[in-house]
Amino acid sequence: MRGVVWYIERDFLRWVRGRVAVFSALVMPAAWLIFIGLALPIRFTDNYLAFITPGILVMTMLSAGLSGGTLLMFDKILGFLNKFLALPAPREDILFGKILFVSVRGLIQVTIILVIAVLIGESVYTPVQYGLTYLILFLFGILTSAFATTLALYLEDHDSFAAVNTMISLPLFFTSSALMPYSVMPDWLRILATINPLSYAIDAIRAVNAGAFPSVQIAALTILGIAVTAMSVRVFRRVTI
Amino acid sequence: MNAIETRDLTRYYGELCAVDHLTLSVNREVFALLGPNGSGKTTTVLMLTTMLRPTEGTATVCGHDIGREGELVRRSLSYVPQDMAVDIKLTGRENALLFARLYGVAAPKDRVDELLAVMQLYDRADELVKTYSGGMRRRLELVQALVHEPDVLFLDEPTLGLDVAARATIWEHITALKKGGITIFVTTHYMDEADRFCDRVGIISRGALLALGSPPDLKARLGNDVITAQIDGTFRDPGMNGITLFAFANDEASFLAENGREALPVLADAFTRAGVRVRSLSLREPTLDDVFLHTVGTPEEPAGFDQTKFRTMLRRRR
Repeated sequence: MRGVVWYIERDFLRWVRGRVAVFSALVMPAAWLIFIGLALPIRFTDNYLAFITPGILVMTMLSAGLSGGTLLMFDKILGFLNKFLALPAPREDILFGKILFVSVRGLIQVTIILVIAVLIGESVYTPVQYGLTYLILFLFGILTSAFATTLALYLEDHDSFAAVNTMISLPLFFTSSALMPYSVMPDWLRILATINPLSYAIDAIRAVNAGAFPSVQIAALTILGIAVTAMSVRVFRRVTI
Repeated sequence: MNAIETRDLTRYYGELCAVDHLTLSVNREVFALLGPNGSGKTTTVLMLTTMLRPTEGTATVCGHDIGREGELVRRSLSYVPQDMAVDIKLTGRENALLFARLYGVAAPKDRVDELLAVMQLYDRADELVKTYSGGMRRRLELVQALVHEPDVLFLDEPTLGLDVAARATIWEHITALKKGGITIFVTTHYMDEADRFCDRVGIISRGALLALGSPPDLKARLGNDVITAQIDGTFRDPGMNGITLFAFANDEASFLAENGREALPVLADAFTRAGVRVRSLSLREPTLDDVFLHTVGTPEEPAGFDQTKFRTMLRRRR
């Protein structure tokens, strides 16, 4: 498993040297936080920022995870994957390295969004609450990056990957509990929001902020994450020999 | 034990036979697999480097079976694909260190330093690869490939897209590696390079090995002299004793002759009689190009356009 570390180091160096990409990914969630979180006139709560922040954190992780699939896509297109596959190191290291790197990179981006949220008025929580929030976001990150990586293995070119990516990310966000509580949703949306994995993560973070331990959601995210990672390994083994 | 040994190695993509019962042994030499595009060169290399399973047949690399002992096979070889895949946002040293660590080399930093020096990259090792020329990038890939002291090196089109000087440097290094005891298996389109730098070549077409031997042997087998005629328009093979047409493309006809000097005037007469305008006639010794054309045939689409095959091909790419 030592290969995982070296693959992660490679991706990390390439990421921080990309400069523009480090910040561009943060613009969208920051804009949501500021322009929607602070400005939208909402009746069901007088602190919409506190309500929407968990949703924005999960959104940051979702876009970090989904866009992370491009890493494997480009390794495949540019010939890196073939070079790595010809190495004696376990081939799955390539896959685990990608999933872990994308999740950790997402957590770094989440941290910046969290700082912005506090700067514009979001309350500060206890270290235990932050620890649980990070755990939930990490599990969610594994789930999305494993999914995106599997997609990248299936699809042939970057364009179709980007197309699928944009096709699913916004609908997933809008059909989750990110923007409004279940009580004010129309019935059809409530059904969608209840089964949407984004809601598991968002509801879990809200529960943590309210002082509870969301065992059901954490268990659900863990099981989903393991299942999708296992599927990813299967697809990876099938396409690489 | 030979470094590379294949027996009836075969690979089908659906109906299409990409490699057809290839039997070959290569050991401590520079061996080139030559063939037109799509002839099965890369498929062969992918099978030998355990990236693709053969449909039929077996092969061993350093005595290890490519099907059952994948990890041992990969431990004894290195593979440099033609894509030039080096990370441009990393330095040369970082690129090389990554591979040294992935291979689990004992003292990765020292080993990388040593190889960077051998490949004349030491002075620029800490610069980003973005600033490297094509030749430097290729040499950096050789550093990556050599970190674990492989016994066999697979190079897919190692000089593709490089300028003349960079090509010469790459071949110098390849020759030096062979002297150090490494078996080198290259695929290439450049006949002149294969002729000058490779010990043996195999010519493959539509998956089948059609010729095998050292360049001088293959040229000698072809015959004595080659005559090329630049002509206008179409013509039919005049059909003369001891003079055979073996290639015709772009208004250039190539003939093999037992005795070139005597064949020249005979050929010129024949053309005149047939009413063909000849712009030039030249006599030379056979090159590997001639061997290639004679073996593979005129470079035209062998079976014409096959609609069904084309569709299967497209479907496979999806």
